[in-house]
Amino acid sequence: MRPGSVGRAVRGGIARRRVQVIVISLVLMVSTAASVLALALVVDSNGPFDKAFAAQHGADVTAAFNSVKTTDTQLSGTRKIAQVTAAAGPFPQVTTTLQIPIEVQGSGAADLTLPQLTIVGRASPGGPVDDVTLQEGHWPTGPGQIALNSNPQNDNLPPNLMLGQHVVATGIPGKPRLTIVGIANSVTNTADGWVVPAEISRLTASASPVGEQMLYRFASAGSAAAIRADVADVARALPAGALTAADSYLSTKAAEAVGIAPLTPFVIAFGIIGLVMSVMIVINVITGAVVAGYHRVGVLKSIGFTPGQVMAAYTAQVMIPAVAGCLGGLVVGNLLSGVLLERTANLYQVGGLGVPGWVNLAVPVAMLAVVGIAVLIPAARAGRMSAAQAITAGRAPRQGGGYAAHRILGRLGLPQPVTIGLAAPFARPARTFVTLVAVLLGAAAVTFAVGLGASLQRVVTGLNLSKTDQVQVSLPMPQGSGGPGGSGLPIRTDRPGPGPSGHFKLPKLPSAEAAQHAAIAAITRQPGTLHFVAEADEEVSMAGLSHQVQVTAYQGSADWLGYDMISGHWYNGSGQVDVPTYFLTATGKTVGDSVTFTYEGKQLTARIVGEVFDNVNNGMSMITGTQTLADGGLTEAQPNQYDIQVRPGASAAAYAQALQQDLGPLYGVNQTGGSGGLPLILSLLALLTLLLATIAGLGVLNTVALQTRERVHDLAVFKALGMTPRQTIAMVVCWVAGTGLIAGLVAVPVGIALQHLLVPVMGASAGTAIPAVILSVYGPADVAVLALAGAVIAVVGALAPAGWAAAARPGVALRTE
Amino acid sequence: MDTLIQLSDVTKRYDNDARPAVGGIQLTVAAGEAIAVMGPSGSGKSTLLNLIAGLDRPSSGAVTVAGERVDRLSETAVARFRRAKIGIIFQFFNLLDDLTVVDNVMLPARLAGMARRRARARAAELLEALRIESQRDTYPARLSGGERQRVAIARALVNRPELLLADEPTGALDSATGEQIGRLLLELNRSGQSLVLVTHNPDLAARYTGRSVELVDGQVARDSGDGRARSTDLVAGAEPGLQVLP
Repeated sequence: MRPGSVGRAVRGGIARRRVQVIVISLVLMVSTAASVLALALVVDSNGPFDKAFAAQHGADVTAAFNSVKTTDTQLSGTRKIAQVTAAAGPFPQVTTTLQIPIEVQGSGAADLTLPQLTIVGRASPGGPVDDVTLQEGHWPTGPGQIALNSNPQNDNLPPNLMLGQHVVATGIPGKPRLTIVGIANSVTNTADGWVVPAEISRLTASASPVGEQMLYRFASAGSAAAIRADVADVARALPAGALTAADSYLSTKAAEAVGIAPLTPFVIAFGIIGLVMSVMIVINVITGAVVAGYHRVGVLKSIGFTPGQVMAAYTAQVMIPAVAGCLGGLVVGNLLSGVLLERTANLYQVGGLGVPGWVNLAVPVAMLAVVGIAVLIPAARAGRMSAAQAITAGRAPRQGGGYAAHRILGRLGLPQPVTIGLAAPFARPARTFVTLVAVLLGAAAVTFAVGLGASLQRVVTGLNLSKTDQVQVSLPMPQGSGGPGGSGLPIRTDRPGPGPSGHFKLPKLPSAEAAQHAAIAAITRQPGTLHFVAEADEEVSMAGLSHQVQVTAYQGSADWLGYDMISGHWYNGSGQVDVPTYFLTATGKTVGDSVTFTYEGKQLTARIVGEVFDNVNNGMSMITGTQTLADGGLTEAQPNQYDIQVRPGASAAAYAQALQQDLGPLYGVNQTGGSGGLPLILSLLALLTLLLATIAGLGVLNTVALQTRERVHDLAVFKALGMTPRQTIAMVVCWVAGTGLIAGLVAVPVGIALQHLLVPVMGASAGTAIPAVILSVYGPADVAVLALAGAVIAVVGALAPAGWAAAARPGVALRTE
Repeated sequence: MDTLIQLSDVTKRYDNDARPAVGGIQLTVAAGEAIAVMGPSGSGKSTLLNLIAGLDRPSSGAVTVAGERVDRLSETAVARFRRAKIGIIFQFFNLLDDLTVVDNVMLPARLAGMARRRARARAAELLEALRIESQRDTYPARLSGGERQRVAIARALVNRPELLLADEPTGALDSATGEQIGRLLLELNRSGQSLVLVTHNPDLAARYTGRSVELVDGQVARDSGDGRARSTDLVAGAEPGLQVLP
């Protein structure tokens, strides 16, 4: 027997079993694509940060010191601490307020005030730690020059700052003016801006001490606990109170990964489900194809094929479509990954994101190995059979099975095609089990996806407070004010406005008190107002944190806003605050602890009474009543916006429009809402669910096609006895409908358990715990509908082969007996 | 006598380029008649049977059975027609292994929408008439060949068809059992059942049918008579007619 004969046998086998070939190809394509996507997301969720961190020798810890309590020599001495592998500094640093002057026609100058910024004096961007990447312009070379940090996670600076623009340091005698000469990027956000070291003294108020900054890399810095231990070593090496703040790279990394990391757990789950389903279906396809081909094996052997050639022929028949499917899956997986990763490729300028080469190699190798193992066992068995044995096995009519099932179902009074169909799976329990698992996983993925989608909707609703806080009014802020509350007017710095000479026209602004009174009067006048509350947003500093914390203070009752509580309770008195999970993580506090913060030089202590689901300022925020601030003497905090819930039945859009007309253009009236990146996540979720349901459906299609082929003679007999095409379809669909129904019933609790397991993991990836209300999304009606998912997958998967079975004429099958 | 089967210039080709399986067949069978279709292997006997039963469609020509143009019926209509008007007996019985004897017999009645209780009663009546009532709850695999063919005959009769088609009904049986089945068919015909028997056994044809049609290479080579004589007239000592056909 020449080798070409094996090739002809393979071609013949593939041509004879087109359905199986297509199913193998599609299943391998879908599962390869899902696996590539899952692995790529896992690998690249921290990819941009890790690449930039490695390239810049990012700082494990950015430490701030009080120069009154320590000296440069002592700080330099910390390089010798055992755990420190590299250090940079000390660099002088100062926290100051910068304003961008804007020329305003007819109203003089207006200033956009930026939040308090950390400015560090560094002679050069390079160094053993935090080797800053200069993206535009040059590094400051003399006084009056500043380079600003364009790190995408640095939200202290507005976007679109341009070289050559001037900024003014306020609160300092002489209001020194700086020119932006460089745009740079520090992966660990060690500063908002850099100047030459000598410039720091000019930016420091006379009474304020100059701080010092040290940047460290440690031998062990993989966890928050390790970092805390490292920082403690540094603190011990210096006089007490010298270390004022220490920021870990982990918080920056977490913030950077927030966009994609939450996707990773569910994509991994979908990848694993897809892989298991593929294995099940491939085993079913292959064993079915080989067993169904025993007669052909006998014929091949009788004409001289050796066992090895038989094995090779059958293995190749499966591996050829499997390889084709894997290659297709690689292309699809890379395309999908590219779409997703493109959104996360950021501005670190250390290279783009893509599917790593090893993923493109490992996934198809693993998939083909699984297929290879699945095919070799039955192929080897076929190879060992004698020719006569194989011919007999291939021709002998299958002995009936599932007698008891037929008897029991026959008593139910259902139409005969239905009872015959429902009893059929009992004749092939192994195949039924594999099909059941595949459908179960597909239906579980549907249940999980529906729950996850609902949870994500609730996350967005919870974070936006969009059920209650439907309309917001921003107050016009007087000139010179700024910060988070100063956003009442749409001041742009990057391009000229609509005025005839290219400048903004700013009308005269009311005082803060007048603006508040006007807003309250207008809101009260609106008949659609149900609730409203004044909100003041301020930034405060906390000991141990180099970055600012946002305080949202409500004037009056605000519990109707309906923040989702994770633990504890909503503040109900002065001196109480609620904080997000990330605040607790970053500060090491728990509910019941006290926090001390500083605003405009005044210190205030409050008790944490609740953990709230909120992501304002990346979770570094506190929520309280204005009374808490007032009792602490922080009278400077003024409301900057009003949050309004409209009456049931009233249109929020119409309400906002009417209120805007009443208040005039100085006030910003907006309808809240917006889903952020939710459409992308929901699209990905829908896509992956569709892929898995498709795999499950293909598994069913294969099972039914296989069974139709095996029972072609029985089908012909049924037709000869008068079974109509519709009855044939009903019977064939019922071969898997019962299996699908059972799979669906089991899949619901599996899917719900998966949702309850993974949503908190996704939350943890985004730095927050998850309130119970976000997890409990399945109502009785949802469960009832989802329980049918398995049956739907089974029926849809069976319809095509059922149609083929109904259309086939019985004469041919009967003639071959 | 009324015409039950009318084949007018019927041709069936399975491959456009190949010789037709049957070609230009003209055949008329009267109600109550028993005819044998004979011929060597490959002569087109089974194809002819399939065309009469509506299991296959002719490439050309008209097939009329019990007043219906079978070749023009839709798949659903032909299925309904078949279960109402035609009973089929196969050489290899074609019983369904995972159904009991009684369930096999009931199947065409249940497919036709007959209530389970009525179908069961009718099946019991037939099993008793065919003397296999003791095997009613047995699975086909445990039956002898003769018993299986009796079950198949009961199944074919359950809907009281006007026409019984038998494709080599004794071909898989030993001669003694084949003789029993032959006599059974004879008795059925004597009680009024029209019968088309496909066989390549001239003796069987001669003993149990009143007319034989011989096919050679898909064409009628010989038609023995006008079909008016019933098969029972030809067999000496035939048993009284079975009381299974009202």
